[in-house]
Formats: sequence, structure tokens, C-alpha cells
Amino acid sequence: MRLAIRSRHSARRDAEEELEAVLQAREEQLRALGYSEADARAEAVRRMGGTLDDVIDDVIQSAEHRERAMSIRETLSEFGDDIRISIRGLRRDALFAGFVMATLALGIGANAAMFSVADRLLLRGPSYIVNPNRVMRVYRHSTRPDGQQATNSSYGWVVYDILRSKTESFAGVAAYSIGGTNTFGRGANAELVNVGAVTHDFFALLGVRPEVGRFFNAVEDAPTAPQHVVVLGHGLWLRAFGGDPAVIGKTVTMSDETYTVVGVAPRGFTGPVLSPTDVWYPMSLRGAATTSRWTTAWNAQWLQIIVRLKDGVAPARAEHDATAAFRAGYTGTSSEDAGSTMTLGSLRSTPSGKESLEVTVSRWLVGVAAIVLLVACANVANLLLARSARRRRELAVRVALGSGRARLMRLVFTECVVLAAGGAVAGLLVASGLTTLMRAVLLPNVEWTASAIGWPILAISAAIAIVVAAAIGLAPALRAARTDLIESLKAGVRESGGQSSRLRATLTIVQAAVSVVLLVGAGLFVRSLVKVKSLDLGIQPDRVLVTRLHYPSHASVLSRGNGAEVTRRASVLESAMRRARALPGVEHASLTIGLPFQSAFGQKLRVPGWDSLPTLKSGSNPLIFAVGPDYFETVGGRILQGRGFAAADRRGSEPVAIVNQTMASILWRGRSPVGECLYWGLDNEPLTVCSRIVGVVANANNWRLREDPMFAYYIPFGQERGFGGATLVVRPRPGLETSVMTELRTMILDLDPAVSFVRTTRLQDEVDPQMRPWKLGATVFTLIGVLAMLVASVGLYSVMSYLVAQRTRELAVRIALGARTASIVSLVFRSGVGMVIAGVIVGTIFSIWAGRFLGPLLFDTSPRDPSILAGVGVLLIVVGILASVVPALRASQVNPADALRAE
Amino acid sequence: MNLLKGTLDLLALKALAWGPMHGFEIASWLETRSDGRLNVVDAALIQSLHRMEERGLVKGEWGVTANGRRARYYTATAAGRAYLRTEGAQLADHVDALATILALRPSSR
Repeated sequence: MRLAIRSRHSARRDAEEELEAVLQAREEQLRALGYSEADARAEAVRRMGGTLDDVIDDVIQSAEHRERAMSIRETLSEFGDDIRISIRGLRRDALFAGFVMATLALGIGANAAMFSVADRLLLRGPSYIVNPNRVMRVYRHSTRPDGQQATNSSYGWVVYDILRSKTESFAGVAAYSIGGTNTFGRGANAELVNVGAVTHDFFALLGVRPEVGRFFNAVEDAPTAPQHVVVLGHGLWLRAFGGDPAVIGKTVTMSDETYTVVGVAPRGFTGPVLSPTDVWYPMSLRGAATTSRWTTAWNAQWLQIIVRLKDGVAPARAEHDATAAFRAGYTGTSSEDAGSTMTLGSLRSTPSGKESLEVTVSRWLVGVAAIVLLVACANVANLLLARSARRRRELAVRVALGSGRARLMRLVFTECVVLAAGGAVAGLLVASGLTTLMRAVLLPNVEWTASAIGWPILAISAAIAIVVAAAIGLAPALRAARTDLIESLKAGVRESGGQSSRLRATLTIVQAAVSVVLLVGAGLFVRSLVKVKSLDLGIQPDRVLVTRLHYPSHASVLSRGNGAEVTRRASVLESAMRRARALPGVEHASLTIGLPFQSAFGQKLRVPGWDSLPTLKSGSNPLIFAVGPDYFETVGGRILQGRGFAAADRRGSEPVAIVNQTMASILWRGRSPVGECLYWGLDNEPLTVCSRIVGVVANANNWRLREDPMFAYYIPFGQERGFGGATLVVRPRPGLETSVMTELRTMILDLDPAVSFVRTTRLQDEVDPQMRPWKLGATVFTLIGVLAMLVASVGLYSVMSYLVAQRTRELAVRIALGARTASIVSLVFRSGVGMVIAGVIVGTIFSIWAGRFLGPLLFDTSPRDPSILAGVGVLLIVVGILASVVPALRASQVNPADALRAE
Repeated sequence: MNLLKGTLDLLALKALAWGPMHGFEIASWLETRSDGRLNVVDAALIQSLHRMEERGLVKGEWGVTANGRRARYYTATAAGRAYLRTEGAQLADHVDALATILALRPSSR
């Protein structure tokens, strides 16, 4: 018993009364011994230790003092007790605790992981930008002749110059051109690095400080006399120089030109984009490499412009300012450009002003992860409800033994906190795995600086865990407080009232429904991905290696007027092709000018019978390719009629051509064009030379996975005029791609020591990025959908198990009354599978409704694809059956005598 | 005289071994049984009883005395009896030791 139960006021009155009683009794005793009344009074006070007023405060204060100390100690020890009791209780019920913690781990882990991705892509954006809300990218909107709106953010240097000098609204204007690669270093040690050309004011505008040294200045970036200086990215600095600060002032070789290092950017600095840059160099160097009139040209557009708004200037006013400056300063010839409107947009958007794929994806991730956490919470609440129903008797006993209701609520709540804490710790492990996976697989082009699990993740996990604990702890704690003593003791472990079982059934149905929705999403994306992958591109890029030779750039300037060098390089390439063909790991090799997904050329074309060629829906001009004899075998094209090129088709031989199917069917209207003539040539010459058509080849996609057909024709390599730039394409034998890549490189460097770098890529690598949206969707939805299904099936299993445990008595009565095993099994079974079927119905209806949002993201797949809806439904029901089967069998093995005696 | 700390608790508990008593009864009991040698301060006794009530050694309840007055009656709990057994024995041992030492006389040289 604690004094705290008595209020402070009554405690004082109590003590007063008691002391008063003692005082009176003492007085009476003394008077009985012969003391006078006054003496008795004085002696009684002396024996008391003072008057009532003197001693009462001593008695009360010391009591209160002790009470305070005790209540703190008691609260602490009670809290410790609660935790100990919770852990002991949970250990007795390890399966339950395991389910709950695993469920929470998945939910919390998925959320923490998604947050770490979203944190970078949605919230923080690129690193090292001071006050990033004021930094914006400049977009230009114009109306095309056909009335369509066009948005882009590519400009010539001249626009940067106008915005910089003719506007008032900006604290800074800078331009950048990030992307592209250069060779860095020489010979065998050369590597390809990502480069970014930026104006001298770029770094100051963002607010970044160099790690070492300095950034380049206006003099070094002077358009008239740019200097060869570079700022190294942090990664390259560590890689190539071991992080040595003495690199400042040293010279480095890039694309065979010499540059002086003036500084090193800080770790993880990527400018206004998220992809990494290894070397930063002055914009004026980049400009000078484009055209000689690059500071005034309006038709060359290679850079993007960012601005920092002045304090207090609203974006709308700044946009107005920029538009006025652009229109006043425009001296180009395009009427459509002259009326352009400038707007400012977020750095997160793509150059065409749309939200970037990464941002869209991370939005999905966050949404879907939140759903999984919801399912997890529903599941945990479900388990806790079941457990609290089972614990009614235990709690009732505790109340009977004198535990306060508040204390009881705290006990149940503590249990939830313990579970959530355990779940959060396990969730961190899940999160670190998921984050690493997502970074590597889903978003490989983003420079991640923070480690996978940082403080934000820890903070978020803890926050989620606490909220989850509060959410899931509330219902059972309230139920515990409402526990009706007698009723509960009488009822035993049986459940009184159908309210909570209805609640649990609803939770189970919701989980099943959410699983259905996520799995339907997964199915739709997987089907889209399969469709994308099995697309007939007209070529088979999965086993095509593309090899280009890089020569030192000063040599390439020399070679412009140097016919001998051009011829020499052509012959090097020719020998490289022959040697490649002779390699044991190579099936086919060919040279080509123009290659799908890489480059294409156009020339003037005339076909007899047509005054002008019809315009196709694609709007593209006819494409011309100059290809070697083995080209179609190498890239996997299919000759439909006639023949491919032979070794005899070459420079100087009879001009011949192969046309694609679209050309054959439209221009020759289904008749075979083989043997007919087509005429092609340069713009300024008459088309008089007949190229005899010798074959028809299947259409090949040129740029995109899905595109409208284009006219394309092929001429023998060597017969081309007016275009050039040969590429070596090689088809290695299956499984030998990597070794062939190395062999090619060695062989070519051996063949021509002047080659500074050999770059070999897979053609598939050009195609793959276009599949990313579906790959992402398929991966994310499958992963999360399967997680949700696992969670839901675990939930169903445990709910069914508890249901059976609670209904043991009822089942025992039924068995005692002669019910057969089969009917018992089916009784339990029906309720489990029934919940799943209800969930499948709800989920399917929701999926069909949500299809309208998903439809635009899919590829050749209906969002209401019946086979996927049916497949997911069947899958869920099968999982439901599996989850119900064990509890149902257990129910059938109830021993009626034992069960009834146990009550 | 001043009692050693905790001694008053033990003496009160000892008194309660004879049955429930109120504060003044305990004080009187101690005086009578010590032949008037132990005169405890009444307020200190009440404090001691309250302290022991909080520690669960005694239990207090309001009741009525033989001559019709309200008084708070104290009963020793099981814990109180156990406390008296162990601590009482220790105290007796302690007092014995004190008596032995105080009884010593310096021996003749």
C-alpha cells in the first residue's frame, strides 16, 4: 500500500488527528498521575517533542520527502518491471513475437530504404547547393509551325551572355554542359572520364567551396583566350592521385591535350545534376571546339543555363525579365524562336521540363512502401488483437491481484514498444540491404555520397517505430483497460462478443486486398517488360559489340586537310575488321556508317514513279547506311527478298542498294523492288546514277523501342559519298563478349600505336536505358508485392491459428457431439479461405479502378488484363489455402475430453 | 536518552508483537516494560510508524479506543515480523557487544 493513494490534504489531516490523539492520551495519563492540568499539558507537549504545530510539519515533510523519492524510484522500477514482464511474456510466445517483429522489420525497413532514396531525389537534391530553392534552370517555350508547344533548355552561349548582362532579377547566371566523356591519361593507363564544361561563375552561383585549390576564374574562361585548366572531381582525385593535395599546379592529359589542375571539387559534388562528373573545365574551351562563331551563333545549342534569384525577387517577375531580355536580344533567323517565352523550373526536372524518371520512380517507391507499412501495421494490430483476446484471462487475474487499470494499459503498451523497437532494429538490417540493392540496380546513375544507412534513416526508423507502437498499442491497451473482471474470468480464453473477430477479419481482408493490388501492379509491369524485351527491333542488339577508335584530337584537326591520314585510318579500321573476323571468339564482323540507336545519316533520294516521296507519320527523312558485306549477319538483320551485300560490292563496283520493308511496300506498292533503280546523291548534284536494288531487309528500329516506320536503305561500304565515320561492329560467340572486348582493344592498339583509346560498348547498352521504366516498375512492384503477400499470408496463418485456439472448446463440443474431422477441417478452412476470397474480390475491384492511372505507364499491356487479374487471384487463394491448412488440421485433432476439462 | 537509528522501529515492532496498538499505547508499553527507563518522543514514534507503514512493515487503521476515542491502530505485517526477527537479533547482538565492552575494567598493572 502506498501513501500516494491518499491525497496530500487528507494525509495532513490524518497525521494531525493522530498526533492530537496521542497528545490527549498523554495528558490524561499525566493527570491520572497527579499532574495539574497546566503541568500535564506542558509535559505532554515536551514528550511530544514540541507543540502540534511544531511537529506536524516534521512528520508530514519527512513523509512527503520519502514519498517523492519513492515514487520516482517506484516509477523507474515499474517501467523496468514492465519491460522485463513484456520480454518474458513475449519469449513465452516466441512465434507471435517473431511474426510481429518480422512484419514490422519489413514495413520499417522498406520505408527507411525508400526514404533514403527519396531524401536524395525528392527532398535534398544535389549536394553543396546553398539555398537550393533559389537556384533554377531556365526553360524556353516556343510554338512550332504545326502549332505544337515545344519546351527545351538547351541554348547557345549567346543566350547566357544576354541573361547575364541584360537582366536585373538574378544574383547569378551560369551555364553548364555536363555529359560526354573524354580520355584521361595516355596509352594503356588511359581511362574514360565524365566531363562537364561550366562557366567560371558556375561554382560561385551554387555556393560550393573547393576541397583543395580553387575553381577557375573569369580570365581562364575568357571566350577570346580560354586556358587549359581543370578542376578534378573528388573521385578521380582519389583514384588517380591518391588524394594528394600537391596535385594543384600539376599537368594532366585529357584527350591528348595538356591541362593544369587548379582545384579539386568536394566529395559528391555533381553540380545541378545527380550524375557524377570527373573533370570540370572552362566553358570557353568547350565553345571554341564547336564552331568559330560560337559566342554569337544562334543555331548551336549545347549548354544549359541556371540562375540564382536575387533576394525578394519572385520567380514570375524574373521570368518576365528573362523573356523580355531574350526577345530584345534575339538576332537569329528563326521566327519561332524569336517569340520564345522563358520560364524558370526546378533543377529536378529534365531538360524538356518534365519530372525526371528517377523522381517519378522515387515517388512510386515512397507510396508503395507506405502501403507496405500500412499492411504491416494492420497485420501487427491483428496479431495483437488476437493475443489480447487470448490474454483476457491473464489480464483479469492481474486486475484481481490488484494491478491498476492504468498500470495494465502501460503493460500492454510497453509490450508494443518492445515489439516496435525489435522490429526497428531488424528493419535497419532490411533497410541497409534494400538501399544498397536499389542504388545499384534501380538508380545506378546517381552519385550517392551518404552511406546507405545514415542518421536520417536511423531517425526516420525510430520515428516510424514510435508512431507504429502508438498506433498498434492503442487498441489492445484500451481493451485491456476495459477488461471486465468477472466476465473475463468466467469466459476463460473464449472470446466474448463478435466485435473483435469482425475487426480482425476486416484487417485480414484489407491485407489480402492490398497484396492483390500490388501483385497486379507487379504482373502488369513484368508483362510490359517481357513485351518490351521480346519486341522485334529488326536487329538483335543483345550480342553486338560496337568499337570506335579515338585519335588524339590535335591529330584530328591536322587530318582535316590531310587525305593521307584519312586513308591511313580507313585502312587501319579495315585491317581491324579483318583481324576481328579472324578471332576465334567472333562469329561476324563488319564496318558500317550509321548504326541503329547510335547514328544515322540522310541524303537526297529519288525513286522512279514518285515526284516526291510520301511523308511518313514518323516525319523522318529516308535514312542511308553504308554497310559491309557481313553487316546484316553481324547485327542480326533479316534479308526478306533478294540478297545481302557480297565482298564484290565495294567502292568502284556497280552501285547497288538494299531497301527496308517499309520502302518496298510503300514505294513499290507490294511489288518486288529487286532489280529496280533508286537514285541518291548530295544536295547539290543531279541524281543520275542508278543504284540497282538487290534485296529487301526487315525494318529495324533506329532510335526508340517504339517508333513509326521510316524509310531506310543500305549501300555497300565504300560507295558512300558526303558522309562518313565508320564504326566496327562485331558479333562474338555467345558467352565470349568480355574476352572479345579485351582482345579487340589489344589487337587495335597493337595495329596502330597512334590510337589513344579504343572504346567498345554493347549495342544493348544503348537500348537498355529505354527499358528502365518497365524494369524499375517490374522490380519494385514484384519486390514489394511479394513482401506484402508474405506479410499477409503470415498474418492469415497466425489469425487462423489463434482462431482455432480460441474456439477449441466449441470445436471440442462439436467433436464430442459427433462432428466428423472433415467437417471440422472444412469449418475452419472455410473461414480462412473466405477472408482471402473477400480480399481478392475487393483488391481486384480496386485494381480495375486504379488501372486508369497505371495504364499510361505500361507497354502494350492493358491495365485490366484478365489473365493477370485471374492469375493473382488464384495465387492469393492458393496462399490462403496453404496458410489455413495447418490450423485447420490442428483443429481436427482437438481432443474433446482434454479441451473441456481444461476450462 | 537518544536511541540508535532504527532502534525505535524495532521497539515499536516488538510492542506490536503483542497485538494491534495505537501510537500512545506503544509509547506507554515501551515505558512500562522498560520500567520507565525508555521515554520516547511521541512525534518521533509516530514518524517511525508512518515510515514503517510505507515500507510495508506495519499496517495502520483508524479504530476506536476502549474509552471511545478515535485512534490509529497499527498491526505488524508478515514482513514486519520477519524484519523484527532478523534485525532484532542483530540489534541484541550489537547491544551485547556494547555491554561487554562497556563492562571491561582495565586490569591491574
